[in-house]
This record gives sequence, C-alpha cells and structure tokens, in this order.
Amino acid sequence: MNAPERNDKKPSPRVLVFACRWCALVGADAAGRKKTELPASFRVIPVECASMVEPDSVLRALASGADGVAVMGCHLGGCRFNDANHVAVKRMEALGDLLDTVGIGRRRLLLSFGTAHEGHEFAEILGNFLQELGPLPELTPWRKTLLNLPAFR
Amino acid sequence: MPGVMVFLCRCCGRIPPTVDLSALGEKIDREEGVVAVETRDTICLPEDRAAMLRSFEAGGADRILVAACSPYGKADDVVAKLSAACGGDRSRVRLVDIREGCAWIHRRDPVGATAKAGDLIGMNLGFLRHGKCSADAVVAVRPECMVVGAGSAGMAAALSIARAGHRVHLVERGAGMGGMLKLLSHVYPTDAGAEEKLKPSLQAISAQPLITLHAKTRVAAATGYAGDFKIRLASGTEETNLHVGAVILATGAGVWLPRGLYRYGELKGVLTLMELERRRKEGEETPRRSVFIQCVGARCPERPYCATFCCPSSIKNAALIKKEDPGAEVTILHRDIMTPGAILERYYRSALEAGVRFIRFAADAPPVVSGEGKVDSVAVFDTISGVKREIAADQVILSTPLVANADNTKLAELFHIGIDRYGFFREDYPLHPLETRQAGVFICGSARWPVASGDAAAQGEGAAMKALAILGRERLSARSLSRLPEGKLGHARIEDAFCSGCGNCVAVCPYEACALQKVGGIFVSRVNKMRCRACGSCTSVCPNGTIQMPEHNARAVGAMIRRAFSLREAR
Amino acid sequence: MSELIHTIREKSQELLAAGRVDGILCLVRDRFDVVQPRLIFRAEEIGSIETSPKWNLAKLALQTIRQSGPSFRLAVVCRGCDERALLELAKRNQFDATRITVLGYTCSREQAESCLCVRPYPEKPLAGEKIEGVDPFADPRVSALLTGDEGKRMARWAGLLSRCIKCYGCRNACPICVCTPCKLEDDLWVERAVVPTELIPYHLIRAFHLSDTCVACGACQDACPVGIPLLTLQLLMRRRLQERYAYEAGLEADRKSPLLMDFDHASPAGFELPAWTVSSEAPHER
Repeated sequence: MNAPERNDKKPSPRVLVFACRWCALVGADAAGRKKTELPASFRVIPVECASMVEPDSVLRALASGADGVAVMGCHLGGCRFNDANHVAVKRMEALGDLLDTVGIGRRRLLLSFGTAHEGHEFAEILGNFLQELGPLPELTPWRKTLLNLPAFR
Repeated sequence: MPGVMVFLCRCCGRIPPTVDLSALGEKIDREEGVVAVETRDTICLPEDRAAMLRSFEAGGADRILVAACSPYGKADDVVAKLSAACGGDRSRVRLVDIREGCAWIHRRDPVGATAKAGDLIGMNLGFLRHGKCSADAVVAVRPECMVVGAGSAGMAAALSIARAGHRVHLVERGAGMGGMLKLLSHVYPTDAGAEEKLKPSLQAISAQPLITLHAKTRVAAATGYAGDFKIRLASGTEETNLHVGAVILATGAGVWLPRGLYRYGELKGVLTLMELERRRKEGEETPRRSVFIQCVGARCPERPYCATFCCPSSIKNAALIKKEDPGAEVTILHRDIMTPGAILERYYRSALEAGVRFIRFAADAPPVVSGEGKVDSVAVFDTISGVKREIAADQVILSTPLVANADNTKLAELFHIGIDRYGFFREDYPLHPLETRQAGVFICGSARWPVASGDAAAQGEGAAMKALAILGRERLSARSLSRLPEGKLGHARIEDAFCSGCGNCVAVCPYEACALQKVGGIFVSRVNKMRCRACGSCTSVCPNGTIQMPEHNARAVGAMIRRAFSLREAR
Repeated sequence: MSELIHTIREKSQELLAAGRVDGILCLVRDRFDVVQPRLIFRAEEIGSIETSPKWNLAKLALQTIRQSGPSFRLAVVCRGCDERALLELAKRNQFDATRITVLGYTCSREQAESCLCVRPYPEKPLAGEKIEGVDPFADPRVSALLTGDEGKRMARWAGLLSRCIKCYGCRNACPICVCTPCKLEDDLWVERAVVPTELIPYHLIRAFHLSDTCVACGACQDACPVGIPLLTLQLLMRRRLQERYAYEAGLEADRKSPLLMDFDHASPAGFELPAWTVSSEAPHER
C-alpha cells in the first residue's frame, strides 16, 4: 500500500519525527520493509519512550528548520514503562495549545499513539501529515537580513 | 578528542543506487571530527566485522558510526560486538538506519534519499560527540525471600524457593496455612477432597527447614529495592525485622457477599457458594432440591469481570450432589457457562449427563427468588426455549465472584506498586504477568486476578522462578534489571548543583525512582538507580535540564535536532 | 485614608507587636514620596505602608526568605496573585510555607480590568471586598491575539515578539522562574549573545515551562520594557487546563499539576481510554 501521492509542485515539508522504539519506530521500519514510498523530507529520532521527548525539543525543532514535528508512541495502556506515555500525551496537548496561541497551530504537531507495529498505518499517518502541511512561515524575516549585514559578520 | 570512524554499508547493493554512498562518503570525510570513512559490503558478516575492527584499531578513532540497516535486524548485534572494542561502552557506537528508514522508503527519490542519508549521518555524528555512559550501581543481594500469604500460591512459591536452597519467610495474617482451600470441601476437576489436596503442601512446608512461617503476622513497613528489602513485620505487639532480596505477594482475594440480592440474608436457604462448601465439608445434609444462580454480583457495572472459578465450582457441587443422591433435583441458572479447556469441558458435559439441569437467563431478566421465612421456588425466563419456568427449591446457592483483598491497598503503598480499579495488584504490562513495576516485587494467585487453586499454585511457582533470578546472584547490577538483552538504556542522573527541588521528576516517575532529600537545608532530588528504568519521563518535565539520561542527553539530542535539515536554501 | 490601608496597617502593627513575625515585606512611601517595596521591622514604619500601585512582591518575598536566617518569619502585604504565586512556590519546595504569613487585600475594579484578572482577590482577604473577576478573552486586545485567522495572528505575534531585546526582565520578574541555571541562558536551547532574540526558543520555551504554574500575576508584562503582552501567551493554556482538568495554578496546595500525573490520577474531562486496552481496565457496556 502506498502513502498518498504528493503534489510535486510544492516541496515536501520538513518534519522531524520522534518515534518510540517499541511501537512507532517498528512501524516506521515495517513501512520501509514493505517498500512503501514516502517523501524524503522527514527525519526520525528514535527515543526510548514518547515521554522522553521534551516539549522544548519540539520547539527547538520548529526553530531549527522543521515545518512540523511528529511525536509517536505506543497505544495508551500499552506503554512498557507503566503508562509513561499518558504524561506525554497530556503535555504535548498542552504544547498544542501554546502553538495555537501564537498562530503556529497545533496541526504542526502530529501526535500519534496508536500505530503499534503497523507499517501501513505509520505510512498513512505520516504521509497525510506531509501532504497537508505547508511550510512554516518565517517568523522573523528581517532577522536573517540583519544578521547578514557586514557589521554582524 | 580522537574522533569518529564511519562505516557505510552497501548491503550487497540494496542501499545504493538509491543512496549514493560514494558521494556521501566524500562529504562525510570532510567533516570535522571524522577520522576516516570506509565503505563495506556486508557489515553483518564476520569477515567484514573483523576488517572493521582492524580499521578501527589502526585508525586512532575512539567512536564508531555505522550506517547500514534497521536496528531491529542484525545491526544491533554488530553494535554490541563493536562496542566491545570500545571497552564495552555502548555510547561510543552508533547505528544509523539508511536502509529501511531511507533507501527502501524513498526509492523513487534518490536525490532526496541521499540528502536524507547525509542528514541522518550528520545527526548521529552530532549525537556521538555528546553521548555518555551511565555509571552502573551494583548491590549485594540478600539471599532470603519473603512470601506474603500462605494460600495455594504462597505455599507453592515458598516451596519452590526453599527447594532452590534459599530461606523463605512465609508471612500469613491468619492462624495457619492453606488459604481458601481450607474453606472448600472438594476441588474441581478431580473432585478430590480439599483437605487431601492441601495435605501434601502442608507437610512439605513443615518438613522444609528453610521455610519459616510467621503466622498471625502482617507487614508493617518496607523500604529498599531489588536485592535489598528491609521489612518490618508486626504480630500483635511483637516486631520482627527481615532483610530479604525479593518479595512475593500472594495475599489472595476475598469472597463477595451478595447483600440485597436474591433475598440473601432475608430467607432461610439462600446461601453463597462458600457457605455451601462449608456445609458439605461439615457433613450437613443436603436438601433435595437445589438451584444455583451464577454471575451474582459479577459481570455487572461494578464488577464487570468473570471470576473464572464459579462455573466449574457450581458444576462440581451440583454433580457431587447428584452423585450422592441420584434423585436430587439440581438446576444451574446461568448467563454463560465458562469452562475453558478440554478437561473442564468434559467436566461440564458429565454434569449434564448426570442429570444436572442448565437453564440460561439474560442479564436484564434475572431470576426471582420467592418464599416466606424460607425459600420456596425460583422463577426464571429460559432464553433458550423462550419459556418462563418456576423451579421448586429447598436451597438457592448464589455464585459470587472473588474481590480484591482489603489489605492490597496498604501493601501496594508499602511496596510502591500499582493496583487496578478493582483493587487487584497490577502486573507490569506488557508481557510480564508476574512482575510489578518495582523490580524484585512479584505477584501471583488471586491477589493478582481471581484464579482457582491449581492456577494459583502454577503462578506461585512462576513468581518463585522470577524471584530466584535475583536471589540466585551474589550481586545485582542496576543495568541488568531491565529484561532487555542489552540491559536498560542506563539510568537518570541528577546534577546536584542545578536541582531546585521542584519535585516534578518525583511526581512523574512511573517507578517512584526519584525522591527529594534535604541536603544542607534545601531539597534536592535523588535517583534510585535500582528502580529507574530509563524511560526518560523525568527528563522531559525537568525545568532546567538537571536530570538527564546520559545515553540520551539533551546535548546529544540537540545536536540531532540542529543537523536534521541541512539548510540549503535560506528560509 | 481608605479602610483597606487602615486594616492592613492595623494588622501589621499587631503582628509586629506580638512578635509573631520578624519582618514585613510591603510597599512603603518613603521620605521622597516614592512608593516602593521595603522590608520593615519597626512599629514606626507601619504608618508608611501603602497598597498601591500594583507591584508583585512574591519573588522578593522568596528572595528575602532565602537570604534570611532559618528562623526568620516574614509577613507579606500583597494581592491575590502574589498569594497564588507563593502557594505554587511552596508547592515546589522553594520555601517553608510556615515561615510566610500572607496579609492579603483585594483589588479594585479598575485594577482588575487593567490586569484582565479572573481572580482579583486572595483566598481569605484581610482587607477589602472580593469583586467578580474579568474574562480576559472578552478584551479586544486579547481576542485579537488569540482568536481568528491563524496566519494574521502569527504575523501579529511575530511583530510583537520581535521587539524583544532579551533583557531577561520577564524571567527575572516572574515569581515562578527560580531555576539556576536557566535553560534560556543555555546555548543549547537559545542562541546566546545574539539580538534579535530567536523567537520560538526563548518565548515559547518559557511560556511552556509555565503552562501549569503561571498564576497570571502579570509581573512579566509589567517588567517588559518594550511592552510585549506576555501574559496573553499563557491565557489559552490556562483556560484549557481549567476546561480539561478543572485545574488553576495557585489555588490548591495539595494538588500536583495534572500534566505530571497519568490518566488514572488526572484524566482530562470527556476522555475515555480506548476499550481494547488492558482488559481488566476496560469499561464494560451495560
């Protein structure tokens, strides 16, 4: 099964994926083994548990070139670290509220706690995310200009 | 700082041509901190690995990056063997998946895939620069064990551990051993007398010098961790201190009394299954006409579970009554008959053949018990024939479920383990049914979930085996306490000078591994390495990065984030 | 002299005279007719205690306690927001709660409207009448930033936050920000020694750290030299915590933030664990 086709006119958005190595990463792996095709604009950082992902890391990623961030963990009730993923879900939801506040939007933070080992689900969820996400507008466009001035170099 | 040796694997042509390894290799070689780049065909094969080790030792690097296949395949084994060359420090070897995670999933975009592979390798080079290793903790293991509860599960556990040569303290709050078996007259499916069934265990325990029974005793206090638990027992005013390596909780369950249902307590002749057992054990005469009602107080909103033992138990009593008095009228009113397995299925059928009547009722139309002063009859709507029946009865036996022991909450607090919403001890989900979230504390029998004595004994033996894995060692390392082949990732580390004592890590840790201690007048958090399972929850709630997982610390992750997207165009 | 100030001065006098506190942190009018915070010890100073303008004293109270001896008992003359900040600090073990006595007074309607405060009073005010709070979302400046077209709002926020000169005034003034070292000064998270400030890392990291501890005292906003509406950054998160968990920072000393607890202990309203999860936990239909 292939992920949804992308409109090749727009470049694919850059997404940083934090995937827990017990479920989500296995799903990513399975998608690869099945030779599912996805756009090459995402990078995966494996973590021990989704609860290990600091919300600050998500913010840092958005400030370092990512258009979107995905945090993927095990099913609720299926975390091998005694429901540590419950806290992750709640904190990421709250982070979504902050992203909504400043207009970046919670839709740039994909939360998936249900793919388990399913490669096709991983591909579908991430594929849809990559397709629907637009680039993150430059928040301080004049900053680069300023920093490129001879006085700053 | 010596630098990184990078190995790229062609995977016999399964990674290129999608990912252009030669172009990649050149680019990586120019990176600061990279000592050399070597491309190989099959890093999973011993010949290539030997060559890699030779290159590494000659090259003068102190870390290794391998870009190859998935971490779920052979690559993990490769990393383990390579880390041996780095003094066993797994934080010096890093595996990057550029096959399943890159070449295979972006076959239609070789340019993008190669760029991604470059980024992935760059990310992990950054990670390697900052990866650290947790210092392990090693504790001496106390060889003795404590088993709480001397029922079927507890006795089986105690015997298994004693047979392996360890002293067991068997703590029982009642006057003697035996648990629920003492209350029964017969057991299923053998129909053997309960006392007979109990005797061998009682004899074996009495004959076993390594088992010390503490009767009429409760656990009053407990501290410590796997390998080293300090327990205080209380028996009346007397106190005993124990120092054990593992704890098994086999405290069983209690029977639920159906007050207010089916006129229990109002009419003579309406009794519970347990009371029937008692009467039969004491040789009381059984009346002619018996009606059993199943699922009383079970499979309902307050207790939406099946207690598993009540159908076989009722069938057992019904069949025995019929055997003793073939003219007796015995009916079992049920919602479903739960007799899994070939033996119990045969048990059910032989009861049918012996003349026990089975009538099915629906949950929303329960039977109605009538009588004045004593029970007279039971009216039920038979869902299978669609007919309302009136059954004359001299006694009505209510099958009620087992409910959690009231002591479980206190024990769960003492040992920092969880209980589920019905009060039973929580297992360490997934795949570790006899373990809890605290290493060294095990659960078995009905304390964990309602079971019959045979299964309880089997679980007791299982818990004993798990406990012996700890007790049998002289020393226990914190790292080995995860059940992963390579041990757990490490354990959290606190930078004392940074800690503000806010307590976030204490609140969030699923294993209660963090605790606040007063150091010089201020609170500082401390990690119990034996309890920490390296999930990393604490690191994501610490406001200033005081607590870190050395193997996955913030600097290493930060390096990965920054290098994820080599910004070629200005944004 | 208003009744409010009179009551405050009277009570302060009582406490000092009875030796129940060793010092009182409050606003005083000094001999140059300037009102500012001061730690007073003597009865003679009571007469200069003032209760306006709005000046958050929680952080000063914390610093006072920390710099004083272990037996020093402090009274703080303050508003509701300071009391809530002190509660959160005590909850986080930043000081021994038995050492501080709050002499709380209520805020006027003008002040409540100026601060857009939902709770312009301490729990048990010593002086003043409790008045109804203000709904900040009803204010047009707030709703311009928090509701409506996402793209336009982001542009507005970008414009406002780009004024930031990284003076760290917001962080320094915030009573809850006590970490040393602070992430905002760590090169790993926020680029050091470069102005203009990186927008997301500085402001959003700080805002998220406060998501469940911010008591909306507005000290950050008051301190900002370029007038960024920093308090508005927190409002949506606070509201969602209220909606999902019935939680408001600063009110319950015994309740930990729901963002630190699993679903068994703090489940968001209207949330159900999927039915397939661990069978003994699944709610059954009846």
